[in-house]
Amino acid sequence: MSKHLLKFSVNGKDYAVVVQSHERLLDVLRDKLGLKGTKEGCSTGDCGICGVLMDGKLVNSCLIFAIQARNKKIVTIEGIGSAEKPHPIQRAFMKWNASQCGYCIPAMILATKELLEKNPDPTTEDIKIATRGIICRCTGYLKIFEAVKTAASEMRGAE
Amino acid sequence: MFVPENAADLLQYLDSHQTGVHLIANGTDLINRIQRKQVNPKTLVDLTGLSEFRYVKREGGMIKIGALTTISDLVASPIIDSRYDVFREVAMKFGGPSIINMATIGGNICSASSSEDLLPVLLVLDADVQVRSIHGERTIRVEDFVKGKRMTDLKSNELLVETSFSELESCSACSFEKVGMRNSLIIAFVNCAVFLRLAENKLCDEVRIAFNRVNGKIPQRARQTEKIMKGTMLNEQTLANAVATLRNELKLTSDFRASEEYRLEVACAIFKRAVGRCADRLAGEKVLV
Repeated sequence: MSKHLLKFSVNGKDYAVVVQSHERLLDVLRDKLGLKGTKEGCSTGDCGICGVLMDGKLVNSCLIFAIQARNKKIVTIEGIGSAEKPHPIQRAFMKWNASQCGYCIPAMILATKELLEKNPDPTTEDIKIATRGIICRCTGYLKIFEAVKTAASEMRGAE
Repeated sequence: MFVPENAADLLQYLDSHQTGVHLIANGTDLINRIQRKQVNPKTLVDLTGLSEFRYVKREGGMIKIGALTTISDLVASPIIDSRYDVFREVAMKFGGPSIINMATIGGNICSASSSEDLLPVLLVLDADVQVRSIHGERTIRVEDFVKGKRMTDLKSNELLVETSFSELESCSACSFEKVGMRNSLIIAFVNCAVFLRLAENKLCDEVRIAFNRVNGKIPQRARQTEKIMKGTMLNEQTLANAVATLRNELKLTSDFRASEEYRLEVACAIFKRAVGRCADRLAGEKVLV
Protein backbone atom coordinates (compact mmCIF):
# COMPACT_ATOMS: atom_id res chain seq x y z
CA MET A 1 0.00 0.00 0.00
CA SER A 2 1.52 3.29 -1.03
CA LYS A 3 1.20 6.51 0.91
CA HIS A 4 0.48 9.92 -0.55
CA LEU A 5 0.50 13.47 0.70
CA LEU A 6 -2.99 14.74 0.06
CA LYS A 7 -3.27 18.51 -0.24
CA PHE A 8 -6.80 19.83 -0.48
CA SER A 9 -9.18 22.41 0.91
CA VAL A 10 -12.01 21.49 3.23
CA ASN A 11 -14.57 24.12 4.21
CA GLY A 12 -12.21 26.87 3.10
CA LYS A 13 -9.22 25.59 5.10
CA ASP A 14 -6.13 24.08 3.45
CA TYR A 15 -5.03 20.66 4.65
CA ALA A 16 -2.03 18.42 3.96
CA VAL A 17 -2.69 14.88 5.20
CA VAL A 18 -0.82 11.62 4.68
CA VAL A 19 -3.26 9.08 3.26
CA GLN A 20 -3.01 5.51 2.07
CA SER A 21 -3.95 4.62 -1.49
CA HIS A 22 -7.04 2.71 -0.45
CA GLU A 23 -8.45 5.26 2.01
CA ARG A 24 -11.76 6.76 1.01
CA LEU A 25 -12.50 10.47 1.15
CA LEU A 26 -15.31 9.65 3.61
CA ASP A 27 -12.89 8.04 6.07
CA VAL A 28 -10.33 10.83 5.82
CA LEU A 29 -12.99 13.48 6.45
CA ARG A 30 -14.45 11.62 9.42
CA ASP A 31 -11.44 9.96 11.03
CA LYS A 32 -8.45 12.13 10.11
CA LEU A 33 -10.10 15.56 10.06
CA GLY A 34 -12.73 14.73 12.69
CA LEU A 35 -15.59 16.02 10.55
CA LYS A 36 -18.27 13.59 11.67
CA GLY A 37 -21.13 15.45 9.98
CA THR A 38 -20.64 13.40 6.84
CA LYS A 39 -22.38 10.06 7.41
CA GLU A 40 -21.80 6.62 6.00
CA GLY A 41 -24.84 4.81 4.63
CA CYS A 42 -24.68 1.95 2.16
CA SER A 43 -21.01 2.44 1.11
CA THR A 44 -21.92 1.43 -2.45
CA GLY A 45 -23.14 4.68 -3.98
CA ASP A 46 -26.84 3.83 -3.75
CA CYS A 47 -28.12 5.87 -0.82
CA GLY A 48 -26.38 9.23 -1.29
CA ILE A 49 -26.02 9.82 2.47
CA CYS A 50 -22.24 10.43 2.33
CA GLY A 51 -22.63 13.32 -0.12
CA VAL A 52 -20.17 16.23 0.03
CA LEU A 53 -19.59 19.07 -2.41
CA MET A 54 -16.42 18.71 -4.47
CA ASP A 55 -15.66 21.85 -6.49
CA GLY A 56 -19.32 22.78 -5.96
CA LYS A 57 -20.80 19.49 -7.14
CA LEU A 58 -22.43 16.85 -4.99
CA VAL A 59 -20.44 13.59 -4.98
CA ASN A 60 -20.52 10.41 -2.92
CA SER A 61 -17.51 10.47 -0.61
CA CYS A 62 -17.70 6.66 -0.21
CA LEU A 63 -16.82 6.20 -3.89
CA ILE A 64 -13.81 8.50 -4.01
CA PHE A 65 -10.34 7.51 -2.90
CA ALA A 66 -9.03 10.34 -0.75
CA ILE A 67 -6.04 10.98 -3.02
CA GLN A 68 -8.44 11.66 -5.89
CA ALA A 69 -9.58 14.77 -4.00
CA ARG A 70 -6.12 16.35 -4.33
CA ASN A 71 -6.25 20.07 -5.19
CA LYS A 72 -10.05 20.01 -4.86
CA LYS A 73 -12.30 22.22 -2.76
CA ILE A 74 -14.49 20.09 -0.49
CA VAL A 75 -17.47 21.44 1.45
CA THR A 76 -19.05 19.29 4.15
CA ILE A 77 -22.05 20.10 6.32
CA GLU A 78 -19.66 21.70 8.85
CA GLY A 79 -18.76 24.27 6.18
CA ILE A 80 -22.38 25.31 5.64
CA GLY A 81 -23.24 26.75 9.04
CA SER A 82 -22.89 26.20 12.78
CA ALA A 83 -25.25 25.80 15.72
CA GLU A 84 -24.66 29.46 16.56
CA LYS A 85 -24.91 30.68 13.00
CA PRO A 86 -27.00 28.31 10.90
CA HIS A 87 -27.27 28.75 7.15
CA PRO A 88 -30.70 29.79 5.80
CA ILE A 89 -31.11 26.25 4.43
CA GLN A 90 -30.48 24.82 7.90
CA ARG A 91 -32.90 27.34 9.46
CA ALA A 92 -35.57 26.32 6.97
CA PHE A 93 -35.04 22.62 7.73
CA MET A 94 -35.45 23.41 11.46
CA LYS A 95 -38.54 25.55 10.84
CA TRP A 96 -40.27 22.69 8.99
CA ASN A 97 -39.02 19.96 11.35
CA ALA A 98 -37.67 18.42 8.18
CA SER A 99 -35.18 16.29 10.06
CA GLN A 100 -36.45 13.13 11.73
CA CYS A 101 -33.56 10.77 12.49
CA GLY A 102 -31.27 13.28 10.79
CA TYR A 103 -28.98 10.81 9.10
CA CYS A 104 -29.66 11.94 5.53
CA ILE A 105 -29.93 15.63 6.36
CA PRO A 106 -26.28 16.69 5.80
CA ALA A 107 -26.47 15.30 2.26
CA MET A 108 -29.95 16.77 1.73
CA ILE A 109 -28.70 20.21 2.76
CA LEU A 110 -25.63 19.99 0.50
CA ALA A 111 -27.81 18.83 -2.42
CA THR A 112 -30.07 21.81 -1.70
CA LYS A 113 -27.07 24.12 -1.72
CA GLU A 114 -25.97 22.85 -5.13
CA LEU A 115 -29.54 23.18 -6.44
CA LEU A 116 -30.14 26.72 -5.19
CA GLU A 117 -26.87 27.96 -6.61
CA LYS A 118 -28.01 26.89 -10.08
CA ASN A 119 -31.71 27.51 -9.63
CA PRO A 120 -32.77 30.04 -6.96
CA ASP A 121 -36.51 29.41 -7.51
CA PRO A 122 -37.01 25.67 -7.91
CA THR A 123 -40.36 23.93 -8.41
CA THR A 124 -41.24 20.84 -6.35
CA GLU A 125 -40.27 18.76 -9.38
CA ASP A 126 -36.84 20.47 -9.55
CA ILE A 127 -36.33 19.72 -5.85
CA LYS A 128 -37.31 16.08 -6.33
CA ILE A 129 -34.82 15.76 -9.18
CA ALA A 130 -32.03 17.41 -7.20
CA THR A 131 -32.54 15.22 -4.12
CA ARG A 132 -33.48 12.00 -5.92
CA GLY A 133 -30.16 10.33 -5.18
CA ILE A 134 -30.54 10.63 -1.40
CA ILE A 135 -32.67 8.15 0.48
CA CYS A 136 -34.54 9.29 3.60
CA ARG A 137 -35.79 6.13 5.29
CA CYS A 138 -37.91 8.12 7.71
CA THR A 139 -39.66 9.08 4.44
CA GLY A 140 -39.91 12.66 5.52
CA TYR A 141 -39.61 13.96 1.98
CA LEU A 142 -42.60 16.33 2.00
CA LYS A 143 -41.25 18.49 4.81
CA ILE A 144 -37.82 18.44 3.17
CA PHE A 145 -39.35 19.77 -0.07
CA GLU A 146 -41.17 22.51 1.87
CA ALA A 147 -37.95 23.41 3.68
CA VAL A 148 -36.07 23.72 0.39
CA LYS A 149 -38.77 26.08 -0.94
CA THR A 150 -38.64 28.20 2.21
CA ALA A 151 -34.84 28.33 2.06
CA ALA A 152 -35.00 29.37 -1.60
CA SER A 153 -37.41 32.20 -0.92
CA GLU A 154 -35.40 33.43 2.10
CA MET A 155 -32.18 33.33 0.11
CA ARG A 156 -33.77 35.20 -2.78
CA GLY A 157 -34.97 37.82 -0.30
CA ALA A 158 -31.53 38.12 1.24
CA GLU A 159 -29.86 38.96 -2.05
CA MET B 1 -1.99 4.03 -6.60
CA PHE B 2 -0.16 5.72 -9.45
CA VAL B 3 -1.26 9.31 -9.87
CA PRO B 4 -0.17 10.70 -13.25
CA GLU B 5 -0.71 14.40 -13.92
CA ASN B 6 -0.46 14.18 -17.70
CA ALA B 7 -1.26 11.74 -20.49
CA ALA B 8 2.36 11.19 -21.53
CA ASP B 9 3.33 9.93 -18.03
CA LEU B 10 0.27 7.74 -17.93
CA LEU B 11 0.82 6.10 -21.32
CA GLN B 12 4.48 5.52 -20.49
CA TYR B 13 3.48 3.87 -17.21
CA LEU B 14 0.85 1.67 -18.86
CA ASP B 15 3.35 0.53 -21.47
CA SER B 16 5.85 -0.60 -18.84
CA HIS B 17 3.35 -2.08 -16.31
CA GLN B 18 1.02 -4.33 -18.22
CA THR B 19 -0.37 -6.65 -15.55
CA GLY B 20 -2.52 -6.10 -12.48
CA VAL B 21 -3.15 -2.46 -13.37
CA HIS B 22 -6.67 -1.04 -13.24
CA LEU B 23 -7.58 2.41 -14.48
CA ILE B 24 -9.90 4.37 -12.20
CA ALA B 25 -11.78 7.56 -13.04
CA ASN B 26 -14.35 8.50 -10.43
CA GLY B 27 -14.84 4.94 -9.24
CA THR B 28 -18.65 4.66 -9.24
CA ASP B 29 -18.36 1.12 -10.64
CA LEU B 30 -14.85 -0.02 -9.77
CA ILE B 31 -14.90 0.71 -6.02
CA ASN B 32 -17.98 -1.48 -5.61
CA ARG B 33 -16.33 -4.26 -7.57
CA ILE B 34 -13.20 -4.03 -5.41
CA GLN B 35 -15.34 -4.16 -2.24
CA ARG B 36 -17.16 -7.23 -3.56
CA LYS B 37 -13.78 -8.79 -4.41
CA GLN B 38 -14.78 -9.13 -8.05
CA VAL B 39 -11.53 -7.46 -9.00
CA ASN B 40 -8.30 -7.34 -7.08
CA PRO B 41 -6.09 -4.71 -8.66
CA LYS B 42 -2.42 -4.74 -7.75
CA THR B 43 -2.14 -1.10 -8.76
CA LEU B 44 -4.76 1.52 -9.47
CA VAL B 45 -4.00 4.32 -11.89
CA ASP B 46 -5.97 7.47 -11.14
CA LEU B 47 -7.21 9.25 -14.24
CA THR B 48 -8.95 12.16 -12.53
CA GLY B 49 -5.99 14.53 -12.94
CA LEU B 50 -6.16 14.30 -16.75
CA SER B 51 -8.51 17.23 -17.37
CA GLU B 52 -7.39 17.37 -21.02
CA PHE B 53 -9.82 14.49 -21.66
CA ARG B 54 -12.78 16.35 -20.21
CA TYR B 55 -14.53 18.13 -23.10
CA VAL B 56 -17.48 18.15 -25.47
CA LYS B 57 -16.83 19.64 -28.90
CA ARG B 58 -18.27 19.82 -32.40
CA GLU B 59 -15.74 19.22 -35.16
CA GLY B 60 -16.12 18.31 -38.83
CA GLY B 61 -19.73 17.15 -38.58
CA MET B 62 -18.98 15.07 -35.49
CA ILE B 63 -19.74 15.43 -31.78
CA LYS B 64 -16.64 14.49 -29.81
CA ILE B 65 -16.75 13.69 -26.10
CA GLY B 66 -13.62 13.31 -23.99
CA ALA B 67 -13.49 10.11 -21.94
CA LEU B 68 -13.31 11.91 -18.58
CA THR B 69 -16.39 14.02 -19.26
CA THR B 70 -18.98 13.26 -16.59
CA ILE B 71 -22.64 12.66 -17.41
CA SER B 72 -23.42 16.04 -15.76
CA ASP B 73 -20.76 17.80 -17.87
CA LEU B 74 -22.26 16.26 -20.99
CA VAL B 75 -25.84 17.38 -20.42
CA ALA B 76 -24.70 20.84 -19.26
CA SER B 77 -22.74 21.39 -22.48
CA PRO B 78 -24.27 23.98 -24.87
CA ILE B 79 -23.31 21.65 -27.73
CA ILE B 80 -25.69 19.02 -26.40
CA ASP B 81 -28.79 21.03 -27.40
CA SER B 82 -32.39 19.82 -27.50
CA ARG B 83 -31.66 17.58 -30.51
CA TYR B 84 -29.57 15.51 -28.13
CA ASP B 85 -32.15 15.30 -25.34
CA VAL B 86 -31.55 11.56 -25.50
CA PHE B 87 -28.57 12.22 -23.20
CA ARG B 88 -30.85 14.06 -20.75
CA GLU B 89 -33.12 11.02 -20.77
CA VAL B 90 -30.09 8.90 -19.91
CA ALA B 91 -28.93 11.31 -17.19
CA MET B 92 -32.35 11.37 -15.48
CA LYS B 93 -32.43 7.60 -15.24
CA PHE B 94 -28.74 6.93 -14.84
CA GLY B 95 -28.43 7.80 -11.17
CA GLY B 96 -28.87 10.59 -8.67
CA PRO B 97 -26.99 13.90 -8.98
CA SER B 98 -24.00 12.64 -6.99
CA ILE B 99 -23.62 9.69 -9.36
CA ILE B 100 -23.99 11.65 -12.59
CA ASN B 101 -21.55 14.26 -11.21
CA MET B 102 -18.98 11.46 -10.95
CA ALA B 103 -19.63 8.78 -13.57
CA THR B 104 -17.65 9.37 -16.76
CA ILE B 105 -18.41 8.60 -20.39
CA GLY B 106 -15.20 6.60 -20.78
CA GLY B 107 -15.87 4.67 -17.58
CA ASN B 108 -19.35 3.73 -18.72
CA ILE B 109 -18.03 2.41 -22.03
CA CYS B 110 -15.08 0.52 -20.53
CA SER B 111 -17.16 -1.06 -17.75
CA ALA B 112 -18.96 -2.86 -20.59
CA SER B 113 -21.82 -4.46 -18.71
CA SER B 114 -25.53 -4.73 -19.43
CA SER B 115 -26.22 -2.06 -16.84
CA GLU B 116 -24.33 0.68 -18.67
CA ASP B 117 -27.07 2.99 -19.90
CA LEU B 118 -24.93 4.94 -22.33
CA LEU B 119 -23.93 1.96 -24.43
CA PRO B 120 -27.29 1.41 -26.19
CA VAL B 121 -27.37 5.12 -27.07
CA LEU B 122 -23.82 5.06 -28.45
CA LEU B 123 -24.68 1.90 -30.41
CA VAL B 124 -27.66 3.50 -32.15
CA LEU B 125 -25.63 6.66 -32.84
CA ASP B 126 -23.07 4.30 -34.42
CA ALA B 127 -20.38 5.92 -32.30
CA ASP B 128 -16.64 5.28 -32.45
CA VAL B 129 -14.12 5.26 -29.66
CA GLN B 130 -10.57 6.47 -29.92
CA VAL B 131 -7.88 4.68 -27.91
CA ARG B 132 -4.31 5.80 -27.43
CA SER B 133 -1.03 4.19 -26.40
CA ILE B 134 2.55 5.47 -26.61
CA HIS B 135 2.72 3.73 -29.99
CA GLY B 136 -0.19 5.62 -31.51
CA GLU B 137 -3.95 5.95 -31.76
CA ARG B 138 -6.68 3.82 -33.25
CA THR B 139 -10.38 4.27 -33.83
CA ILE B 140 -12.87 1.44 -33.30
CA ARG B 141 -16.65 1.31 -33.51
CA VAL B 142 -18.27 1.02 -30.06
CA GLU B 143 -20.01 -2.08 -31.35
CA ASP B 144 -16.67 -3.80 -31.98
CA PHE B 145 -15.01 -2.35 -28.89
CA VAL B 146 -17.41 -3.99 -26.43
CA LYS B 147 -16.71 -7.68 -26.89
CA GLY B 148 -18.59 -9.26 -24.01
CA LYS B 149 -19.63 -8.72 -20.43
CA ARG B 150 -16.78 -6.78 -18.79
CA MET B 151 -14.66 -7.38 -21.89
CA THR B 152 -13.44 -4.72 -24.28
CA ASP B 153 -10.89 -4.46 -27.03
CA LEU B 154 -8.76 -2.13 -24.88
CA LYS B 155 -5.18 -3.41 -24.63
CA SER B 156 -3.36 -3.17 -21.31
CA ASN B 157 -1.14 -0.34 -22.59
CA GLU B 158 -4.03 1.71 -24.00
CA LEU B 159 -6.31 4.45 -22.73
CA LEU B 160 -9.75 5.24 -24.12
CA VAL B 161 -9.58 8.98 -24.83
CA GLU B 162 -12.71 9.92 -26.75
CA THR B 163 -16.02 8.80 -28.19
CA SER B 164 -17.49 10.47 -31.26
CA PHE B 165 -20.53 10.23 -33.52
CA SER B 166 -22.01 12.05 -36.50
CA GLU B 167 -24.18 15.05 -35.69
CA LEU B 168 -27.91 14.37 -35.88
CA GLU B 169 -29.45 15.84 -39.04
CA SER B 170 -32.83 17.55 -38.86
CA CYS B 171 -34.53 14.41 -40.24
CA SER B 172 -32.98 12.22 -37.49
CA ALA B 173 -33.92 11.70 -33.87
CA CYS B 174 -32.82 9.50 -31.02
CA SER B 175 -34.46 8.47 -27.74
CA PHE B 176 -33.82 6.34 -24.66
CA GLU B 177 -36.12 4.44 -22.30
CA LYS B 178 -35.34 2.48 -19.16
CA VAL B 179 -37.27 0.51 -16.61
CA GLY B 180 -35.70 -0.36 -13.27
CA MET B 181 -36.55 -0.30 -9.59
CA ARG B 182 -35.88 3.40 -9.06
CA ASN B 183 -34.88 6.11 -11.48
CA SER B 184 -31.91 7.08 -9.39
CA LEU B 185 -30.48 3.59 -9.07
CA ILE B 186 -28.25 2.40 -11.79
CA ILE B 187 -29.36 -1.07 -12.73
CA ALA B 188 -32.07 -1.43 -15.38
CA PHE B 189 -34.31 -4.46 -15.95
CA VAL B 190 -34.44 -3.41 -19.56
CA ASN B 191 -33.33 -0.33 -21.43
CA CYS B 192 -33.69 0.61 -25.05
CA ALA B 193 -32.34 3.26 -27.42
CA VAL B 194 -33.74 4.06 -30.85
CA PHE B 195 -32.33 6.13 -33.70
CA LEU B 196 -34.73 7.04 -36.49
CA ARG B 197 -34.14 8.87 -39.77
CA LEU B 198 -37.15 9.62 -41.92
CA ALA B 199 -36.96 10.29 -45.65
CA GLU B 200 -39.01 13.14 -47.14
CA ASN B 201 -41.88 10.77 -47.94
CA LYS B 202 -41.99 9.75 -44.23
CA LEU B 203 -40.54 6.33 -44.96
CA CYS B 204 -38.15 4.97 -42.33
CA ASP B 205 -34.87 5.61 -44.06
CA GLU B 206 -32.67 4.29 -41.29
CA VAL B 207 -33.64 2.65 -38.00
CA ARG B 208 -31.22 1.55 -35.32
CA ILE B 209 -32.43 -0.19 -32.17
CA ALA B 210 -30.37 -1.32 -29.20
CA PHE B 211 -31.23 -2.98 -25.90
CA ASN B 212 -29.04 -3.55 -22.88
CA ARG B 213 -29.53 -7.26 -23.45
CA VAL B 214 -30.37 -8.72 -26.82
CA ASN B 215 -28.66 -12.06 -26.70
CA GLY B 216 -26.59 -12.40 -23.57
CA LYS B 217 -25.47 -9.78 -21.16
CA ILE B 218 -24.15 -6.90 -23.21
CA PRO B 219 -25.93 -4.13 -25.06
CA GLN B 220 -26.47 -5.00 -28.71
CA ARG B 221 -28.44 -3.93 -31.78
CA ALA B 222 -31.70 -5.66 -32.68
CA ARG B 223 -30.88 -5.95 -36.36
CA GLN B 224 -33.76 -8.16 -37.53
CA THR B 225 -36.26 -5.67 -36.17
CA GLU B 226 -34.34 -2.81 -37.78
CA LYS B 227 -34.54 -4.61 -41.12
CA ILE B 228 -38.32 -5.11 -40.83
CA MET B 229 -38.84 -1.38 -40.24
CA LYS B 230 -36.47 -0.02 -42.86
CA GLY B 231 -38.20 1.36 -45.94
CA THR B 232 -41.69 1.14 -44.43
CA MET B 233 -44.08 3.94 -43.56
CA LEU B 234 -43.98 4.71 -39.83
CA ASN B 235 -47.46 3.77 -38.61
CA GLU B 236 -49.24 1.43 -36.19
CA GLN B 237 -48.94 -1.53 -38.57
CA THR B 238 -45.19 -1.10 -38.96
CA LEU B 239 -44.82 -0.85 -35.23
CA ALA B 240 -46.90 -4.01 -34.68
CA ASN B 241 -44.76 -5.92 -37.20
CA ALA B 242 -41.62 -4.61 -35.56
CA VAL B 243 -42.78 -5.73 -32.11
CA ALA B 244 -43.62 -9.20 -33.47
CA THR B 245 -40.08 -9.50 -34.85
CA LEU B 246 -38.58 -8.12 -31.67
CA ARG B 247 -40.33 -10.82 -29.61
CA ASN B 248 -38.44 -13.48 -31.54
CA GLU B 249 -35.20 -11.59 -31.74
CA LEU B 250 -34.69 -10.76 -28.08
CA LYS B 251 -33.11 -13.60 -26.13
CA LEU B 252 -33.59 -12.27 -22.62
CA THR B 253 -32.64 -14.09 -19.44
CA SER B 254 -34.14 -14.28 -15.97
CA ASP B 255 -32.20 -13.21 -12.92
CA PHE B 256 -32.91 -11.93 -9.42
CA ARG B 257 -33.97 -8.54 -10.81
CA ALA B 258 -36.65 -9.68 -13.24
CA SER B 259 -37.93 -12.73 -15.10
CA GLU B 260 -37.43 -13.32 -18.78
CA GLU B 261 -41.18 -13.01 -19.47
CA TYR B 262 -41.51 -9.73 -17.65
CA ARG B 263 -38.41 -8.33 -19.36
CA LEU B 264 -39.84 -9.20 -22.78
CA GLU B 265 -43.16 -7.42 -22.13
CA VAL B 266 -41.35 -4.38 -20.78
CA ALA B 267 -38.89 -4.40 -23.69
CA CYS B 268 -41.73 -4.31 -26.25
CA ALA B 269 -43.53 -1.53 -24.38
CA ILE B 270 -40.49 0.72 -24.00
CA PHE B 271 -39.47 0.06 -27.61
CA LYS B 272 -42.83 1.42 -28.82
CA ARG B 273 -42.50 4.38 -26.50
CA ALA B 274 -38.96 5.12 -27.72
CA VAL B 275 -40.01 4.99 -31.39
CA GLY B 276 -42.98 7.23 -30.57
CA ARG B 277 -40.71 9.75 -28.89
CA CYS B 278 -38.41 9.83 -31.94
CA ALA B 279 -41.43 10.45 -34.15
CA ASP B 280 -42.61 13.27 -31.87
CA ARG B 281 -39.19 14.85 -32.01
CA LEU B 282 -39.16 14.73 -35.79
CA ALA B 283 -42.65 16.24 -35.90
CA GLY B 284 -41.24 19.15 -33.93
CA GLU B 285 -43.51 18.82 -30.91
CA LYS B 286 -42.27 19.86 -27.52
CA VAL B 287 -41.23 16.69 -25.76
CA LEU B 288 -41.10 16.56 -21.98
CA VAL B 289 -38.20 14.62 -20.63
